[in-house]
Amino acid sequence: MSEKRLIWFHGRECPHCRKLEPVVDQFESETGTKLERLEVWHNEANAQVMRSLADAIAPACGGDLGVPAFYNENTGKAICGGRIDLAMLLSWAKG
Amino acid sequence: MKELWRCHVCNDVHLGSKAPGVCPTCGARNAFVLSDLDEALEIIGKQPALDDQAKVMAAWKRFSDQSATVRLTSKADEVELLSKGVVENLKGKGQRYCPCRITTGDPGKDLALICPCNFLKQPAYKETGECWCGLFVKRDEK
Ligand code: SF4
Repeated sequence: MSEKRLIWFHGRECPHCRKLEPVVDQFESETGTKLERLEVWHNEANAQVMRSLADAIAPACGGDLGVPAFYNENTGKAICGGRIDLAMLLSWAKG
Repeated sequence: MKELWRCHVCNDVHLGSKAPGVCPTCGARNAFVLSDLDEALEIIGKQPALDDQAKVMAAWKRFSDQSATVRLTSKADEVELLSKGVVENLKGKGQRYCPCRITTGDPGKDLALICPCNFLKQPAYKETGECWCGLFVKRDEK
């Protein structure tokens, strides 16, 4: 069975995603865990993955499928939005 | 259901569930008559496309200038980035969709994602005073 992933759905022209990039880098270096970074506006296959997880992600985004969004395949937990910080990422990754 | 209406005085065209009581262009009262797409297209003719960043940003500025409640963010780099996204979405997906949410694949539902969307109803706007992407902000916000 393939390993469960921690996924970051982002958009190339999303300002919140751009601001979060250094935070994600910091998360990765502090935890030694790599996130799977899936760009959803220029990659339809990635968008489809996101749509398939809509039941978990959309409520976290306030109803629509938005970016930045993070999905934990281990726990099924999603967090979403422009106010995500390192502490939130750490707690989301833990479960 | 929304229908097309035409002002019989000045040929203003309106799409809506009822005829406007006052024509916003010429001020005539109770002047709208039911129209149809062919007639409306004939009247509208060829309008310049909003298909580059400068035109999109100019449209956002006009929208912002006429609003008493919201305005464009003062973060020029974000306006620039979002306009790039909107234009790329126009080219890649066919409409000026929001760069921070994804299409559902249902064109009817995706109409709600054309920028500017109805962000006033977004939980994010109610909580933070900004649209989901931070492009439009409440007038009293930073
Ligand atoms: S959330 Fe903001 S940027 Fe996105 S479509 Fe709505 S108004 Fe435009």
